[in-house]
Amino acid sequence: MIERWALVSGLKGDLDTYELIQKDLKKTPGNITLFVLGDMIGPEKNCNRLLHRLINPKSNDLQPWCIYGWWEEQILLESGYRGDQRAEALRINKGEEVVKSLTNAVDKSFLDWIAALQFGFVELDCGLIHGSSKDVGENLTLDTPPLTLLDRLTRLQVNRLFTARSTQQFHLELTEGILNSEVHDLTGNHKKEQKVPQKAVIGVGAGKNYTLYDVGTDNTQFLRAGYQSEKKTKGFGLHF
Amino acid sequence: MNQAVISCLHANLPAVEAVLKDIELQGITNITCLGDLVGYGPQPNEVIELIRDKQIPTCQGCWDEDVIDGLDACDCSYPSQLAEKRGHFAHQWTTNKLTKENKDYLANLPYSIRKDKCLFVHGSPNSQHEYLLPDMDAFAALERVENARAEILFCGHTHQPYIRELADGLIAVKIKNAVPKDTQEKEIQLPMRRIVNAGSVGEPRHGGTKATYVVYNDVTNEVKIREVEYDIELTCKAIIDAGLPPIFAWRLKNGFEFAEQAEDASHVCER
Ligand SMILES: [Zn+2]
Ligand SMILES: [Zn+2]
Repeated sequence: MIERWALVSGLKGDLDTYELIQKDLKKTPGNITLFVLGDMIGPEKNCNRLLHRLINPKSNDLQPWCIYGWWEEQILLESGYRGDQRAEALRINKGEEVVKSLTNAVDKSFLDWIAALQFGFVELDCGLIHGSSKDVGENLTLDTPPLTLLDRLTRLQVNRLFTARSTQQFHLELTEGILNSEVHDLTGNHKKEQKVPQKAVIGVGAGKNYTLYDVGTDNTQFLRAGYQSEKKTKGFGLHF
Repeated sequence: MNQAVISCLHANLPAVEAVLKDIELQGITNITCLGDLVGYGPQPNEVIELIRDKQIPTCQGCWDEDVIDGLDACDCSYPSQLAEKRGHFAHQWTTNKLTKENKDYLANLPYSIRKDKCLFVHGSPNSQHEYLLPDMDAFAALERVENARAEILFCGHTHQPYIRELADGLIAVKIKNAVPKDTQEKEIQLPMRRIVNAGSVGEPRHGGTKATYVVYNDVTNEVKIREVEYDIELTCKAIIDAGLPPIFAWRLKNGFEFAEQAEDASHVCER
């Protein structure tokens, strides 16, 4: 059977969207693994129902594999899970109100679960993270310098990096890399030409926008939750 | 004009004096220090006072940071438990020995110093604890210099002096899939950049026993590694007299290469 990964992020408490994605995935052929790359929570909505569902999937749900994202990091900071630090960057940029909304949106009973989430997964030769291997808050996009992308791949020692923080959907291949290095030290001169094999960075989107990755063919499909069924309905409309 | 860059003095006063003499004999007055004034060696106050009195611009090293923050270098910095124990002991010894004034001096050192196209740091622009070894992945090394918006990056911390030129680089990219649809291909030429490691004045790890530093000519762009002999016996005796672990003296005398350096040098301490 075809092996596929579904990559979701930025749900920010939106259980309806999560249910739409689950529904889509039920209709998708193949053996599907569902990864939720952080930002399950956010300040805009009460997140308790979504968190409860992620922790206690319904019997016909695909099991979600979650990591923490930028918003999870903010609530952990604010709740004292990172020593003396608090969510100061959030406070300065968005104000006290947003900090309050965030802490109000998540019941304290979920904090230990959030704190136990991993920074990322490494599956096969792929790294699955929220931001980058340098920082959970780093945006990787099509405009990020390729040298930076290559560095973030190297840090995790992977050939493909799935990232969500930018909310964009893209599949960028680094098809070739070459760099000459000459080191002079007390033993003499050492020249080396370094090449990199093909690598890729994949932006998985956020909210309703999610990604299907075909592990066998290395192809991505960028989807919008509920869109397939909407399209079908329209199609049937034409037939009848 | 020639300028000298020194690093990792490690409280070894005879070595520091010999290197400063060597710099003076060449008529060089422009000196930058990349930190680690203390640690391992027996004369931390004397070395700090010498550098401070000569008003040599200095970055904060990993030892300088750890000693004043009351933090011991993270466990990941040591290749063995024994090395870790010795390292912790040396931290404690140094912390006890330092005067309040000298601790304040270390606490107020900057992480980096920028002069035109040159950036001076202790470990890497990311951290005082990151090792930029000469055989580090070339693209990752170039990224450190580029992201720091420098043309030449001067660093220390590895205690191995080297000059690395990264040139004729290219990365080709292709958008395989995107929303909105896009299928661009492009080639990006990478700039030529250099990393210069000044080695170590007070705790060499290049296989020999001489103190090392570098001389950079900002007109010709030439960099030279200098090796300087100093009175090793004097430092070794002071180490023993101070009650520091005798292995610190032994490796100065024998030019031991690896000392306390991490096995996984690419590891960045997240402490
Ligand atoms: Zn050092
Ligand atoms: Zn150091």
